[in-house]
Amino acid sequence: MLSVHSLVKTFSVDGSELRAVDDLSFDVPCKEVYGLLGPNGAGKTTTLRMILGLLDADAGYAEVDGIQTAEDPIAVKSRLGFVSASDGVYPWLSVREMLLYFADLYAVDPHVAAERAEHLSKMMGIEKLLERRAGSLSTGQRQRVTLVRGLIHDPPVMLLDEPTRGLDVVGVQTIFEYIEHLRDAGKSVVVCTHRLDEAERLCDRFGLLHHGRLQNEGSMDELREQTHREHLVDMFVDLMKTEAA
Amino acid sequence: MNGHALQSRIFRLFQKELRETIRDRRTVMTLLIMPLLLYPLLSMALNRFLLTSNVGVSQVFYVGVGSEEEGNMLSNALDNVGSIPPKSILDASSGEFAQFDLRLTEEIDPVDALRENKIDVAVSVDLIPYGQSQVPEFTITAYRGDGASEAARRILVERLQWLRSATAQQVAQQASESYVPPAEVVVKDCGDVQSMPLLATIVPLVLVLMTITGAVYPAIDLTAGERERGTMEALMASPVPRFYVLFAKYVAVVIVALLTAMVNLFAMFTTLWASGLLRLLTGEDVFPWLAVLQILGLLVLFSGFFSAVLLSLTSFAKSFKEAQSYLIPVMLLALAPAMLSLMPGVKLSGPLAIAPLISIVILARDILAGTFDPVGALAAVLSTCAYAVAALAIASRLFGNDAVMRTSDQSIGSLLQRPKKSTLVPSAQSSALLLALLVPIYFVASNGLMRFLAAAQDQMTMSTQFWLNGLTLVLTFGLVPLIAAYLGRNEYRTTYRWKRPAVASVFGAVLIGLGAWALAHEAFVFAEAMGIGGLSESRVTQTLQTLEAWKQVPTWLLLLTFALAPAVIEELCFRGFLFSSLSTVLTPGRVIVVTAVLFGVFHVLTGNALLIERFVPTTLLGLILGWIAYRTGSVIPGMVMHFVHNALLNLVGRYHDSISFFGSELDDQAHLPAAWLAGTMGIALVGVAMVWFSTRDRSHV
Repeated sequence: MLSVHSLVKTFSVDGSELRAVDDLSFDVPCKEVYGLLGPNGAGKTTTLRMILGLLDADAGYAEVDGIQTAEDPIAVKSRLGFVSASDGVYPWLSVREMLLYFADLYAVDPHVAAERAEHLSKMMGIEKLLERRAGSLSTGQRQRVTLVRGLIHDPPVMLLDEPTRGLDVVGVQTIFEYIEHLRDAGKSVVVCTHRLDEAERLCDRFGLLHHGRLQNEGSMDELREQTHREHLVDMFVDLMKTEAA
Repeated sequence: MNGHALQSRIFRLFQKELRETIRDRRTVMTLLIMPLLLYPLLSMALNRFLLTSNVGVSQVFYVGVGSEEEGNMLSNALDNVGSIPPKSILDASSGEFAQFDLRLTEEIDPVDALRENKIDVAVSVDLIPYGQSQVPEFTITAYRGDGASEAARRILVERLQWLRSATAQQVAQQASESYVPPAEVVVKDCGDVQSMPLLATIVPLVLVLMTITGAVYPAIDLTAGERERGTMEALMASPVPRFYVLFAKYVAVVIVALLTAMVNLFAMFTTLWASGLLRLLTGEDVFPWLAVLQILGLLVLFSGFFSAVLLSLTSFAKSFKEAQSYLIPVMLLALAPAMLSLMPGVKLSGPLAIAPLISIVILARDILAGTFDPVGALAAVLSTCAYAVAALAIASRLFGNDAVMRTSDQSIGSLLQRPKKSTLVPSAQSSALLLALLVPIYFVASNGLMRFLAAAQDQMTMSTQFWLNGLTLVLTFGLVPLIAAYLGRNEYRTTYRWKRPAVASVFGAVLIGLGAWALAHEAFVFAEAMGIGGLSESRVTQTLQTLEAWKQVPTWLLLLTFALAPAVIEELCFRGFLFSSLSTVLTPGRVIVVTAVLFGVFHVLTGNALLIERFVPTTLLGLILGWIAYRTGSVIPGMVMHFVHNALLNLVGRYHDSISFFGSELDDQAHLPAAWLAGTMGIALVGVAMVWFSTRDRSHV
């Protein structure tokens, strides 16, 4: 499972300090899909990057299965799967080569990796693309390849950054099925998105992030109780208004 | 993960990089198509240029004439024995002279034929009155600015002038018996045969430039390309040490650079061979396999070096465009000094021997010319290796650094910024950077010192020379690591392994120091028997003279500059900084070996000479010092041993005539008498035992 404890990250922008993440804490147990929600610039991606160890936290820490990112980044990274909408592919490698390359990066045994690549490809319906050059894939196909890539090392915790950005209806549906699969497989899943309507359908619990601070947290019912609003969109509109006032 | 699994994993990572690059058509373009097209074209241009700048070599020029009559008049003149240059002129041009092939320019005027580049020179003949008879007047037209054409005209004019003067001489001799020529001329040569230096420099220069061209695209593609494709973040999120990924990329870039180099090398030499230019380069028509292989070896080294440099720059770039904008100035910077190698008389010595890129070009030139200086060659090879390691260390520090911050305001200058948090010991990269700085700095400093001392010997007392020697040591092995530790914000105590050792271990170190000289001596004799080093008689005499001269210096100064200073400074550098930093990535055994070999290498490269004979004993000493440093966890006992050892040797050198050691004076060729050997070894072994027992429970620290 994943826990985040009082994470803080400050950037300096044009000489002034900007708190991108401000004392953020949350837990995601197994079999749960946690929606880290917020408008653009709320600090969602920065949080994921700190969990992954791509950015150093100014204070606080993240831990996976009790291991802190800063203490043993390699152990933490090998327990995390990461998929982002901006992920690219290696245009000159075949899909299979690319999947096996990532398996190597995660030190998966080559035989296990080969089997897993077959199995996951069938699940995501890309088994026929395995020998194709990744550069020749369509956007939707690329996205499926990226999703398979994120699972090639069978991580217990999965981080998804804006997974539906730039996708059509079919693409979005694929993501929904994928997340269902992750939940069934018993993984802890964090989904960062600003698409609140989608999040409502996808996630078990939510953290509403605004200016790097967690404003509300809980299941949909709990949030409704806290905010007296029916939908996530209205809750955010209220948040913005408070700020404007 | 065990070693084998790790190796095969890194190999698979490398395979991916190579696959990705080789499949890219743009790589294939620079790799194959370019050289196949370039050299035939280049050889055509070179052919013209080199042949014309090399007049005197037997060569055929095409002379155009308008009519058969004119042709006959010209060939009559040229066939006349009088037009053949005198012996002295022929001797001066190795007995060869240019041939003229007369051509009738059919329907067009010879001058027009010349304009159309069908002939080298145009000749028209008019008969003009000369006294009572008529003589032919040759009008010789050359194409302005065309070297071949102008050379043809010059030779033709000379031939006709010889004819005039030969005839005049003949007439003069017939008219007067008292005719005496004003002078006779004989030509001679001295010195060695010099092959064409220009071509010998152009060849390696072009090869080096082509190797660069081959490496540029993959270097950008495999680093900045990762960001541009959006694969960098996923790559950095994976649990593989950054250095592995970078190393796999590095090997792939080196392989592509090397393939480019090989294709170019063989394309170039085949073209040279086929076009007959090879004779100008090597003096023979035989394909020079050995030189080609030697140059290939240099290109391996150069690829290794330049690929690392490229990666360190492209790792910083966030896009192809940015990478290119970094690389262009670097390529220009690399090109400018490389041009220097075209100048005749440039030698592989002093700073040039350690100048990146140019040293390789000059070394390759010397290999082609068959003359190279081993000191310069070793300095060039070692410094290039050091630069490669350093560049790779920089690259691994930069690669993926701000994988996610596309708008970061970081700049190259951040490399020199001190980190915010202090660390206990320097990273392995710091060691690599330190070595890369130390090799050239040490080479230049010791070289400069030697030259300065040689030049100013008479105006300076021996003591001043000793002080300067000590100062050089402090400024190189002392100051450079200190600056590195400061810039890296490393804790000085832990970096230099400055720790109070067990008292018994210090006494043990003294004993080892008292006994180790015998071991060093035996290693020296052994190495000599193996053919590694040894002293010539002149060197022995020289050493004895030096020892005599040193007697002017007070003993305390001798001990200060030749025992205490090296013991403190070298130990802090090798068994302090390098030891602690290499320990972060290597097992203790390897750390001991690596620091010992480095210690040995630095002692070989002294000033302007290679003291090969020092390698084995110094490395052995380094192993002992390394072991003591490892056991005691401190730099101090090693310093003590180093001091005792050096002091003993220097004192023996000073008093060698008043103490008779083993019969003969400074007889380095002989083994020690068994009793001496047993005695000194015994002392050293007691010392080893003391170090061992005093550190039994601390050796794992």
